[in-house]
Amino acid sequence: MENNKPKIGIFGLTSCAGDQLAILNCEDELIHLANALDIRDWEMAQTNNDNTTLLDIAFVEGVVAQSRDLEALHAIRKRSKLLVAIGTCAVWGGVAAMKNQIPRDILKKEVYGEEINVVDSMPALPVKSFVKVDIQLPGCPIEKDQFLQVVTSLLRGNLPEILQFSVCSECKMSENACLVIEQGEVCCGALTLSGCNARCPSHNIPCGGCHGPIEEAHYDANVTMFKTHGITKDDIEQKMAMYAAPAWIPDKLLAEK
Amino acid sequence: MEKDRIISIPHLGRVEGHGGIEVEIENGKVTRVNMDIFEGSRFYEMLIVGKKFTEISAIVSRVCGICSAGHTLTSQMASENALGIKVTQRTEILRALLLHGEAIESHALHLGCLVLPDLLGYDGPLIMAKDYPAEVTVALNLKKLGNAIQELIGGRAIHPINAIVGGFGRIPTKAELLQLNTELQKGLDLSGALVDLFSKIRLPEYTTHTGIYAALEPKQDRYSYLGDYILTSDGVKRPIAEFRNICHEKVVAHSTAKQSLYNSQPFMVGALARINLNWQFLGGKAKDAQQKLIPNLPSHNTMHNNYAQMIELVHSIERSLQLIKMLVENGLEHEEPIKYEVKAGKGIGAIEVPRGTLYHYYEFDDEGRIVDADIITPTAQNLANVEKDMRGAVEALINEPVKAIRSSLEHIARAYDPCISCATHLVEVKIK
Repeated sequence: MENNKPKIGIFGLTSCAGDQLAILNCEDELIHLANALDIRDWEMAQTNNDNTTLLDIAFVEGVVAQSRDLEALHAIRKRSKLLVAIGTCAVWGGVAAMKNQIPRDILKKEVYGEEINVVDSMPALPVKSFVKVDIQLPGCPIEKDQFLQVVTSLLRGNLPEILQFSVCSECKMSENACLVIEQGEVCCGALTLSGCNARCPSHNIPCGGCHGPIEEAHYDANVTMFKTHGITKDDIEQKMAMYAAPAWIPDKLLAEK
Repeated sequence: MEKDRIISIPHLGRVEGHGGIEVEIENGKVTRVNMDIFEGSRFYEMLIVGKKFTEISAIVSRVCGICSAGHTLTSQMASENALGIKVTQRTEILRALLLHGEAIESHALHLGCLVLPDLLGYDGPLIMAKDYPAEVTVALNLKKLGNAIQELIGGRAIHPINAIVGGFGRIPTKAELLQLNTELQKGLDLSGALVDLFSKIRLPEYTTHTGIYAALEPKQDRYSYLGDYILTSDGVKRPIAEFRNICHEKVVAHSTAKQSLYNSQPFMVGALARINLNWQFLGGKAKDAQQKLIPNLPSHNTMHNNYAQMIELVHSIERSLQLIKMLVENGLEHEEPIKYEVKAGKGIGAIEVPRGTLYHYYEFDDEGRIVDADIITPTAQNLANVEKDMRGAVEALINEPVKAIRSSLEHIARAYDPCISCATHLVEVKIK
């Protein structure tokens, strides 16, 4: 049956499914979402999916970590007007990209042994490394309020805007004591994209950088600030690389393979 | 009916992660039954090698979005075991509460959104909601309740941030706990409605093989997801440090996950295994639910894993209410996480997460960095048993139309509530 609702698909590449779960966690809104959208393809939540129709919007979670992911991603891009990368894996590579410098053959041998080569594996890279991405919503997992804002904007025909300010700003608005200044902790809030309402520092836990870096962080000024509290550039880089390694180590380590 | 057939389900829907099923029938005999796993490898044990014990639980939480609290806490318990850290009683209560939140969320998601549509003949919960809005809303509200616990105690519904090695970053306030208490009371009534609904649905019985079950033994004569010993249905009890005697791993060609065997036999972990082994510790409304749903125990019908999850959902709500009462009565003044000295060591952590027993094993050097790690997930332990059950079902249904066989295979796979992202990461790495 044809209708005027936007046709959408929700897809997972290699991932923990946490971002799709965050969508399912919109318990109060889920039935309304299902009424406003024509969900054609969502393997995690429904069977007998339609995997050929052209889609207005595709939401893609996860990293490209095997040729199967890459084929799936190209097929999704081809059938979708807009592609929204959801979650830090899809946007930055996430934790799976942390050790991309180690050749896959070595990993496979150590994990599955010499006798059998079952694993189709490639260095884990974000979606934008392979196809055009229209909207990027990071978060590990995505914050459901931000997801709902993106969907509502799209339903109104607007391109959603992901505001580029830092976790540090949110933390200051929450009037938390600064974990860098007060306790000398390696807190990534100053360099990390907001959206979580400074969850970690509000629990006395330093920001781990799970939303990935903000586009225009004042990187050098922050390095100087960290230095005065005994934190090195390496400390902060190591920590940020946990979720966004490809952003901090752009392809150069991959070339050593 | 043709004698040679291949039945293929290339994309198993309504499960977490990417998997499929392939069955081969030759001359009227089942020659091959594979649960295929196509999820990409993320090599978790490799990712954490060289990382400090303070960083590990946040990394391994990402093995799985659905059981992220379980991975986080199992990891922290393994690190504490290696470093000789003893946490406070309050930390133990908060951890137990967080795990109940995860069980409520995960079981409500599985029962309400993934299984119920199968039983009532729909492709998914949102499609089903058009005809059964009340039932889907009950399931979603229970799911939301589990998330409310995880939000408050874990600091986030998925990938908790408030739990750390040695304790918690922030202790919830009395007002927050009392608010949760009110929501749990409402949830207890909702769970009763879901028990009634499930009690009216007859679950199919595809196989009646006597199975082997494994689960942790509850610590204090109370049904629980925590324990220091592994029980198996052959009557053997082992300390969790001997987990490798339970889970012999083998690599199989059709899967990026390894499979697990016990005495060369497939075995089952998860809600049904726990109920089969520990039902005598149930009390209250959970006990009533058990008598209503699975009065005769042990049950060897794998489909009863759905009923077992329903019983546990009720138990987790009741137990959460008791734990909140204890927290409020004991006082909620600020408490710093335990201080500790970094040293070399080996440690094991084990928790009954929604899908079964999860083990994390770590070895640290004297700077507290991981040199060896092993993570054994429940779905990986169950894979061989899933294939065994599916083979039994196909043999029983061999003359039936392909459509009937296909749906029985999907029902069986889904009854295990497989978490394919988790299963893919059953890997062991040794750094020489």
